[in-house]
Amino acid sequence: MLSAAEFSHSRPFVPEAATEAHGVAPKSKHAKWAIEFERISKFFGAHRVLVDLDLQVQPGEKVTLIGPSGSGKTTVLRLAMTLEKPTGGDIRIFGESILFDSAGKPLSTSQEARIRRRCGMVFQQFNLFPHLTVLQNLVLAPTTVLRQSKEQAENTALEYLRMVGLEGKVHAYPAQLSGGQQQRIAIARALILKPEILLLDEITSALDPELAGEVLDVVRGVAHETKVTLLIVTHEMRFAREVSDRIAVFDAGRIIEQGSPDKIFSYPECDRTRAFLQSVLNH
Amino acid sequence: MTWDWSYAVEIVPNLMVGVWYTILVTLASSAIALIGGLLLAILEIASTRLGRTFVRFWLELARGVPILILLYFTFYVLPQLGITIPAIPIGIGVLGVVYAAYCSEVYRGSLITIPTELRDACVALNLSQYVTWQRVLVPLMIKRAVPALLNYVLGLFRETAMLFAIGVPVLMGEAQVAGNESFRFLEPFTLAGIIYMAMNLPFLYLLSRYKDKHA
Repeated sequence: MLSAAEFSHSRPFVPEAATEAHGVAPKSKHAKWAIEFERISKFFGAHRVLVDLDLQVQPGEKVTLIGPSGSGKTTVLRLAMTLEKPTGGDIRIFGESILFDSAGKPLSTSQEARIRRRCGMVFQQFNLFPHLTVLQNLVLAPTTVLRQSKEQAENTALEYLRMVGLEGKVHAYPAQLSGGQQQRIAIARALILKPEILLLDEITSALDPELAGEVLDVVRGVAHETKVTLLIVTHEMRFAREVSDRIAVFDAGRIIEQGSPDKIFSYPECDRTRAFLQSVLNH
Repeated sequence: MTWDWSYAVEIVPNLMVGVWYTILVTLASSAIALIGGLLLAILEIASTRLGRTFVRFWLELARGVPILILLYFTFYVLPQLGITIPAIPIGIGVLGVVYAAYCSEVYRGSLITIPTELRDACVALNLSQYVTWQRVLVPLMIKRAVPALLNYVLGLFRETAMLFAIGVPVLMGEAQVAGNESFRFLEPFTLAGIIYMAMNLPFLYLLSRYKDKHA
């Protein structure tokens, strides 16, 4: 695996460059917020998951969402990735709504895809394609979405595999890898598209502590050495404290408190936050 | 009734002609069934409500009407409407279409078993619908459906015997002709049964190899 310095050198994450590469409208180039949730509500049937959620994340900011299970954290990430539609409110990525066009009409599939291209997501269950090798998993999106040549995509994929310390697993299938290795491949697969916003959804929850460590090392590299905006859902409090610029505490579909890691972990204001941290840290 | 070896040897060349037609019809109608079934499954899953209704109607028709009626209808009724199709294409077409309906249910069932998380990954990677189907869903569907599909191909192979009813010289048809000509039915039908069973063996071997590999 690369050191932080090598990592930084090998992966220059420049949002502007990525923006141009993806052909995103320049009007959003200098947006104040990388991602902005405005009065978002979400119901699954009669079950209310999010209630008038407001959350803004600056470009390059690393924000971690913590809170009890079922408090709506994962739904926030899924909404940002357009895997779910909100029941109400709006979500903007670099100033552009991912729901409506300027006339207030729902976005077409292609408009939605264009904006969504600025985001990448890593899932709890890795979600690698089981019938494809590691290399095929990595080159699928670059060759079909970014229209890179196979050779170019493979060369880039090898760089990313080196970055996550798995260059020797090029021809392995996901089932032949450990959970930690699969998750590192999943991170490489998300990063290879050069997202400006990376959404990490409980990426170590399915791993034992040892394997979780190697995955978190990779994310630390991304967090400390790149300009990518990170929105993280995790139960790893030490990791959250270390990599985050800001922590938002969720409870029952609302953000009950947010602030710097020091503030949240050392001087939480809400009783619910205190109770949650106590239960997690004593566990 | 005694077994006549010399008669049995005499009819073998005719039965081999039947074997050739049986293989031809099986391969051609299997291709229609496997590809058509896949297209029907995709159409049903990915199309509008109208499209889905059309596909469902088509599937129920193909599965609900006995094959013999479909064969007779296309062979005897269509010419009265001015549409004359030779027996072999009719046999291939009817078996292919009926089994496409069965296969589409297999594909649909195997699609349901693909974790929705993989579709989420496709969205997160911004893969188009076409690439999602072509590179992810269809290969996984096929892989999961292979054992059940092989069973259907096996069933289709046996059903080719029915095509003798419209004069296609499949193995069963050749046995029937041989029997009718000599009024000896023991040898032709016994040999035909043994040959059908022997021709089953490669399918069964493939099926067990596949199951061993993916167990």
